[in-house]
Amino acid sequence: MKIVVAYAWAPDPQEASVGADGQVDFSRAKPVVSEYDAVAIEVGRQLATATSSALVGISVGGPATGTPVATKAALSRGLDEVMVASDAALADAGTTRTAQGLAAMVQRLGDVSVVLTGDSSVDSGSRMMPPVLAGLLGWPVLSDVQKVSVTADGVTVERLLREGVQQVSVTGPVVLALASDATQPKAPGMKDVLAAGKKPVTKLEVADLGPAVAEGTVVSTAKLTGPARKGIVINTADPAAAAAELVGALRAAGVIGSTGGQA
Amino acid sequence: MPFQLSDEQLLTRSAVREFAEAEILPIAAEIDRDHRAPLESIPKMGAQGLLGMIIPEKYEGAGSDYLSYMIAIEEVSRVCGTHGVMIEAHTSLASYPILHFGTEEQKMEFLPDLATGRKMGAFGLTEPEAGSDAANLKTTAVRDGDDWVINGQKIFITGGGYAKTFVVFARTNPDVPSHKGISAFIIDRDTPGFTIGENEQKLGIRGSSTTPLMFSDVRVPNSRMLGQPGQGFEVAMNTLDGGRTGIAAQALGIAQGAFEAALKYAQERVQFGKPLTTKQAIQRMLADMSTDLAAGRLLVYEAADLEDRGEEYAIPAARAKLFCGPMASRVTTQAIQIHGGNGYIMEYPVERMFRDARITEIYEGTNEVQRLVIAKSLLR
Amino acid sequence: MSAYVVVAGDAGITEVINAAVKVGGPVTAIVVGSADLAQQVAAPGVDRVVWLGDPGDKPIEAYAPAVGALVVAAPAPVLSGRKPAERVLLGGAAAALQAPVVSSPMDVRSDNGQTVVEHGVFGGIALRTTAYDGPVAIVLDGGAAVNGGGSAAVEQAAASATTSMTVTSLQPNTATAADLGSASLVVGVGRGLKAQADLPIVEALATAMGAELGCSRPVAEGLEWLPRDRYVGISGQQIAPEVYVMVGISGALQHMGGCRGAQLIVSINTDKDAPVVSQSDYVLTGDLYSLVPAITAALS
Repeated sequence: MKIVVAYAWAPDPQEASVGADGQVDFSRAKPVVSEYDAVAIEVGRQLATATSSALVGISVGGPATGTPVATKAALSRGLDEVMVASDAALADAGTTRTAQGLAAMVQRLGDVSVVLTGDSSVDSGSRMMPPVLAGLLGWPVLSDVQKVSVTADGVTVERLLREGVQQVSVTGPVVLALASDATQPKAPGMKDVLAAGKKPVTKLEVADLGPAVAEGTVVSTAKLTGPARKGIVINTADPAAAAAELVGALRAAGVIGSTGGQA
Repeated sequence: MPFQLSDEQLLTRSAVREFAEAEILPIAAEIDRDHRAPLESIPKMGAQGLLGMIIPEKYEGAGSDYLSYMIAIEEVSRVCGTHGVMIEAHTSLASYPILHFGTEEQKMEFLPDLATGRKMGAFGLTEPEAGSDAANLKTTAVRDGDDWVINGQKIFITGGGYAKTFVVFARTNPDVPSHKGISAFIIDRDTPGFTIGENEQKLGIRGSSTTPLMFSDVRVPNSRMLGQPGQGFEVAMNTLDGGRTGIAAQALGIAQGAFEAALKYAQERVQFGKPLTTKQAIQRMLADMSTDLAAGRLLVYEAADLEDRGEEYAIPAARAKLFCGPMASRVTTQAIQIHGGNGYIMEYPVERMFRDARITEIYEGTNEVQRLVIAKSLLR
Repeated sequence: MSAYVVVAGDAGITEVINAAVKVGGPVTAIVVGSADLAQQVAAPGVDRVVWLGDPGDKPIEAYAPAVGALVVAAPAPVLSGRKPAERVLLGGAAAALQAPVVSSPMDVRSDNGQTVVEHGVFGGIALRTTAYDGPVAIVLDGGAAVNGGGSAAVEQAAASATTSMTVTSLQPNTATAADLGSASLVVGVGRGLKAQADLPIVEALATAMGAELGCSRPVAEGLEWLPRDRYVGISGQQIAPEVYVMVGISGALQHMGGCRGAQLIVSINTDKDAPVVSQSDYVLTGDLYSLVPAITAALS
């Protein structure tokens, strides 16, 4: 049996800069295995150890994804092996194209019981990749997973939803997106760093991933501008006076009621 | 000589940074304020492999190269100088001499506990009257049957408060020139007659538990002698050669932390309606600081790389320490200056970094001793 | 043109219907949930309601293949809200259609047979306008609940759920679930608060205002002082209240991306140089421990 973790080697958009024309420059942002994906790897490690399964990382991305430092970084977090497809043609791949590549990898690996993913990808944040991946595989999928335990014929999953804590039992293979606080990922240790280079890496070509899906055509880009803010500075030398001034202003704007509370 | 760090060295940096920011940064200010040794960090650092980096896997170490070890000290010191020297003194001063001068039995007995952090190590050389002049030490070891009986006192011993395994130097032969009559011993903390004094109250690196050691008729079996009789001074000097690079890396890390804090502050702080970074005076300081750091990093990495390649590194290590100690004092001073009044108060980390940096010009060989070592090599 | 709206157990889809109408009618709503929900979804703007059934002891997510099978029979753009089950049903549709996915749309329109979406990229740090020739899956904030009033009749479709998943228990949330997205007043608390024990200071302000309590991501995920569904940010709750009072929040990009839609932002922060200051309508620089109680007092 294999447990698979889908991860991305991506820079944090918070470190990117955005030009006046809306072009995003990632040249100064360092790619990493995101903290969300680190959670998935950590949970995968625990599951794989408990079930004596192999833990395989899979990743689809631009040329940086396939560099030795990228695969070693992922492996140093506890994966047993990785399978990657990295190509300039995949650098800007959308959710569906990425999911398609990941699905091709899961099928190629075979004998996979669970595919784990992080809560969201740092670079898109739409949290749509796991549902599309599951749809392509024809597998069920659950998000916001807090706990996973392996049963005789599948997994039991605990999810934290708005409605409350939900337990779901699943038979057969499944895609699970882990909540960002499902576990606290540990930094790789020094031995893990040195062991990473000795683990197997399988590289796939773009052609191995199936024909590309249609992507939209980018018509234009722009810098995101928020609404103009007033920037009124209230003197806080006397807190009571400052509070009275603020409350007066909010009441005058009609956004809070005259006796406190909502208008 | 350009350096291209290996993937493993790059990943060591990111892994140690992640660990240090998660586990060490949150307590760095508190242990400094309270002069508290962060004992809770010892098992954590042990589990990460940070307490046995240069120890071979055979003895439960990580088996990293020396340059990776320097990067780890740099990254830990970037958030906390105390933790940096905890790792450095334990590894470079206690584990290293056992690895290099110990018998196989001694290595098997002591290194696994040290490499995993189950026991911390410390190095007992300095005495009240033997600081830079180490050969002048007064502690004596007298042979009595199969044992040696040790009497005397050590001071300023890093990790004295929490270490279990001490590498201690004592005079075993008073009848030969002073540096030839010294031998090294491995001594358990629990040995009768061996007592640890109170923590010193220090300017900086306040959590590192610096204590005196007192020896009163401490009996140590001959099997615990490290190296040959009379080889102690060589053990000490060889150990300190390597330690210099470690302290240089600590200084580098402290300076890097202060530089990053100052850069961030300058970018966010607005004065006269504009960020500080728009002021030429600030830009100039930042440029000087980054140049200082780049130069210091090259010196540290070169010395470590030479050691990794089995080449002579003592003089490059002395140069690295002579440069990085004062550099760290310079950079942390500038970091305070950029912070203005905020740099002088404990709300911001740079005053702690400034205090932590100062010791790197003193311990494991003062600036003056490094100059002596370097000059001697030029003039021989 | 036509469009699908996917509904997963929750009628909070006003914005999804609005966007679907802009993509172009007729709009077909595909509903997984109770019969009542299907009736509620028959709201203005919806031309057809296809009810796939009540999930019973299945998670709603078990209907993703059924949604996929339905849309692939007549391909068109598919839209849904951002809640977990909505995303899974939408994903089932995207997979069946092999359609690209786009999130966080600012605007959607139909143009010469193309679906044109103006949307945030990389977690909302920049804007992009993308044109799609074929079907596309669009995920957005659902908005307020709809409650019938339209002309569409509810058709029941013969659909079956994936049998491999069963809900074995649900412990309802004892605390009232946060509803920040539709709240008109929100008070957010960040790491300027020194200890969890000090939360009542901020809670008192929220109570006095009649506001929902939100927070920055570290308060929910690192410190765990508040539940995760209360953090505001690009990856958390997207809020658009009339007033958002930010207490001890510095205003990192991740956070500001979640509250861009607020009409008025009030910031209370010790650091007069914090990023939030330039993005606030009212700036109070000072100690939250004296300012917040003063504002609470001024309200009562």
